[in-house]
Amino acid sequence: MKKLITIGLLITTMYSAEHIIDQKNKHYVPNNITVAVGDTLVFKNSDSFAHNAYTDDEKNEFDFGMQAPGKDKRVEIKEKSDFVIECAIHPNMSLQVHVK
Amino acid sequence: MKKTIISTVLMSSISLTLLNAQVSSDDQRWVKGPIPIPKNNPMTKEKIALGKLIYFDTRLSSTKDVSCATCHRPDSGWATNDPYAVGIEGREGPRNSPTILNNAYNKKYFWDGRAKSLEEQSLGPIEATVEMNMKLDVVLKNMNNTKGYVKLFENAFPGKGINRDTLSKAIASFERTVVSNPDSKFDKFIEGDKTAMSKDAIKGFELFKGKAHCMDCHDNFQFTDGSFHNIALGDADEGRYKLKNRASWYHSFKTPTLRDVTKTAPYFHDGSVKTLTEATTICASGGKYSTGRNAKNKSTFIKDRHLTTEEISQLVEFLKALDGKPLNITIPTKFPQ
Repeated sequence: MKKLITIGLLITTMYSAEHIIDQKNKHYVPNNITVAVGDTLVFKNSDSFAHNAYTDDEKNEFDFGMQAPGKDKRVEIKEKSDFVIECAIHPNMSLQVHVK
Repeated sequence: MKKTIISTVLMSSISLTLLNAQVSSDDQRWVKGPIPIPKNNPMTKEKIALGKLIYFDTRLSSTKDVSCATCHRPDSGWATNDPYAVGIEGREGPRNSPTILNNAYNKKYFWDGRAKSLEEQSLGPIEATVEMNMKLDVVLKNMNNTKGYVKLFENAFPGKGINRDTLSKAIASFERTVVSNPDSKFDKFIEGDKTAMSKDAIKGFELFKGKAHCMDCHDNFQFTDGSFHNIALGDADEGRYKLKNRASWYHSFKTPTLRDVTKTAPYFHDGSVKTLTEATTICASGGKYSTGRNAKNKSTFIKDRHLTTEEISQLVEFLKALDGKPLNITIPTKFPQ
């Protein structure tokens, strides 16, 4: 059983992907993305000021808090869901996430 | 009718395109863009006209003397000049009345952004006990008993009746027409008339974009990017943090538009500041507090920009140049019976 779980985790790790999301000029780039469970979203901040990505989606809830310019933040996709990530400071920033 | 609306939109787009061609690439951000219209509430003449009647109709309040326009007056920059909103029987609300001018461009509404659409926002003040203090069920019942409204709703929303959905959509449709025209001295200036603004206002514009960093939040045609900040006024209101204890929302409030800002004093969510000079000084000098509880979660944009008195004065001259002509909206005097 343990062996099976280990193999399963290895396969998930092998096939999970990283998706780069930039925060630039108060926009998410891209602003629409399709990902899989286990994938990681990597948020960059190319603006000269802080952002605060978050989602209240029940299955994938997270809140980065303040993300300084030039710093990266990462979040793993936990469950299948369609949800929106927003910036707590700049609500016009909106990233639509589709988890297949 | 639909053709009329579509034609109007097309004509607006064409004129905007022509206007854009005269504006430098650096200044394109200040050019009026198309108004975002939700797919589930397309604009029609009928909805706008109906929404306007409702907006000015005091019968929507329990004392029949307060309407949306009481706190968002066309002659006060679509706000009021009281520190706090004053509703029925002189009841004071907890915050200053924000202008509804250019709200159409926002994505969150009220000072704390608790409403996610103009439609959602439009019903809040009707039921608020310190504003219109009227149960929506009663409002809807009264309207359903008013033949004039029944007919107008049928024209605007065929077969849908009078309900929360249609009421909110009518008010929101009208509010989406309360948008500045690009007719201020500033608009003429960026269109190429370099004499439209005074020398001090031009210097103020340069400070606004540069040293003073006002543009970091007061951006776009509407002079706000809709962002939320704690500007460290030191009042007790926790703002957006009350909706959810998200650290970055502590004492944060929405950045207001600056168009027609001379008409909407006093300033800030607590209406505590009487003049533009004082408001500008607070924002450009790092808020009222730099340490302690009152500076907790202070916006990183609120810093001391080390401006001279003359530079503050130039910024204020620039803000005055954002005043536009009053909108061509006729206030109704007769209401559906």
